[in-house]
Amino acid sequence: MNPAPDLTAPPPGRSWRNIRQEVSAPAMSPRGRRRRLAAWAKVGALAVVIAGSGWGLYEFARSWSTDRAALATALHSERVRDTVLITDGVLTRDWVAGKLTLPKEASLMTLDLPALRDRLLTSGQVRVAVLTRNFPDTLVVTLQERTPVARVQAADADGAAKQLLVAKDGTVYDGLNYDKTMLAGLPWLDGIRLVKSGGGFEPVDGMADVSALLSTAQLQAPHLYREWLIVSLARLAERDEIVVKAQDIPEIVFSRKRDFFKQVAQLDYVIDAAHGLEAAPLLQSVNLTLEGQVPVKLQGTPAGLAVTPITPSFPLKPSQRKTKREF
Amino acid sequence: MSSSRIVAAVEIGTGKIAVLVGEITRGRSLNIIGVGVSPSRGVMKGEVVDYKAACEATHHALEMAEKRAGARIEEVWLAQTGGHLDAFYNEASVNVKSADNTVTQLDIASVCDLAKEKELPAGRSRIHEIRRPFRLDGRAVPAPEHLSGRRLEVGYWIVHGPESKISDNIHVVGGYHLEVRELVLASLATGSLLTSAEERSQGVLVIDIGKGVTDYVLYRDGHVLVTGTLPVAGDHLTNDLSIGLRVTTAQAEMLKLRHARATTLSRDKSDKVWLNGDASFGDRQLPKMAIETIAAARTLELLEVVRAKLGPAFVAEHCGAGVILAGGTAKLPGIEEAATRVFGLPARRGEPPGWVKEELQDPMFSTVLGVFQFGLRTAHEHAVPPRRKTGLLSNLTKIFAVS
Repeated sequence: MNPAPDLTAPPPGRSWRNIRQEVSAPAMSPRGRRRRLAAWAKVGALAVVIAGSGWGLYEFARSWSTDRAALATALHSERVRDTVLITDGVLTRDWVAGKLTLPKEASLMTLDLPALRDRLLTSGQVRVAVLTRNFPDTLVVTLQERTPVARVQAADADGAAKQLLVAKDGTVYDGLNYDKTMLAGLPWLDGIRLVKSGGGFEPVDGMADVSALLSTAQLQAPHLYREWLIVSLARLAERDEIVVKAQDIPEIVFSRKRDFFKQVAQLDYVIDAAHGLEAAPLLQSVNLTLEGQVPVKLQGTPAGLAVTPITPSFPLKPSQRKTKREF
Repeated sequence: MSSSRIVAAVEIGTGKIAVLVGEITRGRSLNIIGVGVSPSRGVMKGEVVDYKAACEATHHALEMAEKRAGARIEEVWLAQTGGHLDAFYNEASVNVKSADNTVTQLDIASVCDLAKEKELPAGRSRIHEIRRPFRLDGRAVPAPEHLSGRRLEVGYWIVHGPESKISDNIHVVGGYHLEVRELVLASLATGSLLTSAEERSQGVLVIDIGKGVTDYVLYRDGHVLVTGTLPVAGDHLTNDLSIGLRVTTAQAEMLKLRHARATTLSRDKSDKVWLNGDASFGDRQLPKMAIETIAAARTLELLEVVRAKLGPAFVAEHCGAGVILAGGTAKLPGIEEAATRVFGLPARRGEPPGWVKEELQDPMFSTVLGVFQFGLRTAHEHAVPPRRKTGLLSNLTKIFAVS
């Protein structure tokens, strides 16, 4: 079968349509050249418009993800009506509101969350702060607070003494909303030098060891911990010793190189042993830094006399002063 | 994609350059929105002889039309005329191939290809291929497909011209940073505008006498039978008057416009007219009869040449609608009478159809208006129907096509 002829095909022979129509620039009139220039300019302008539109779209798309103001406009977010606080500590919603000081008409999307978080973190009591938008109008603030391990006394700008708290990581801060009884039970820190930094102080070195000792004592021998008044770090850097002053023992020396649990147990044994003696002597100092022996100095013992070494035998016998839970 | 386009119809004539800008909507509706006219320069007898001058004049008219239209021209439909154009008739026939003698599209395509196949002399390009009616076993049929017969014939009137001269005209437009999309023979354009379908069906001869060339087209049975271009026109009348009366060409042109006639009316040899009419130094009187005699003789000669060129194709009995005269020289008083005398048929001056606005009724716009008319009509009438596709692939395409 023959293929059907194409009726749209050009006629045989040369047609006028085969004549080349382009004219070289010299053959154009000034009007023609102007017109051609205008056509090129139009094409150029069109290209610029297209490129500009593309760039604009790109910028718009980029700003969509980064520009909060544009995003807020685009999303028509509402103003912040509520702030919710989730915390593991004692700080309150009022404190958070006071710290954030959000403008009344601020819309949720226009909030600069990183800046607000930094504002919260200026308080040493706040360890971690996470702010999240809960659409349409709620700001959720989640805090992790520091727990005080000890107290320290410092002078404020007016020279008046004020009590500061020291956390496990060494951060020194003004404690807010803590239970006063709990604060009163915290030992004081001694033998440290507070170094000013910005609006606060440099973290205190060695607080991790102090915290471990105090928490061990608080957990394992609360009857002893309750008696501790001052914890000194004066010898920590040089001799790895933490010196505690208790109500009835002026000096208890711990070594951070030894297991604190063992040292606390030894202390408890020594105190029990001393109380078991007929004379019931008062202890002047207990040195727990040595392995195997605990040199004890009794009050009234002349200086220069040898201290009485006590070798505790484990397991320790529960003392009459202890509850079941305490040891 | 926009459904309208801005098209300029351009006529680069010997006397003037006319440009019409039209907005064509959906390929059919035309709205003329701009006009530009400038005196022609660098063109003789429809041929470009001074490229720069022709460009200057044409581009001026294009710019004027574009400004008036307030729109940028997108493409040009160019009227083509000139003594360099020629035409011939070629016909072909095929035997109907199907067993039941039903004419198929394949038969039609074959006979058309054969009829158009004739080679042109070297250096010449086709401008138009005008099909005459099909004949099936000798009887004329406009659409032979599905009719029964044994022999299918068709003829083509092929208009062609030297490529160099056609390209000169195209390049004049190209120099304005425009592309020529359609080339329309001036006689076809004028004939298309000034005749109705009924007149073309009855048979009509249209003669467009311009300044440099005379175009003519003869219609019979609704189809173009013959077209032609003579390099003789109004300029020759002016030239004859200039030589016969020993006046300058400009003065002869003025005398032609004021006093010339296509038939002699004056019988009084003493009836005289002033050469300039402004009583200036050198102004003199000339016998009016001499002016009329020279103009009439030249006009009759011109019409006789047209008749001679038509040859046996012109049969008065087949030209029921008579002769229609157009062009600037057709304004000559008495020209209808002269045409009637030569062709033996009633003659009249062509008048544009009613839809043409009053300001465009002037004969100088007949050709450019006709270019639009012809272009739009032929685009509609001769639109090639899409080929019927068969086969698995096309059927699959139809199934998955999104309508």
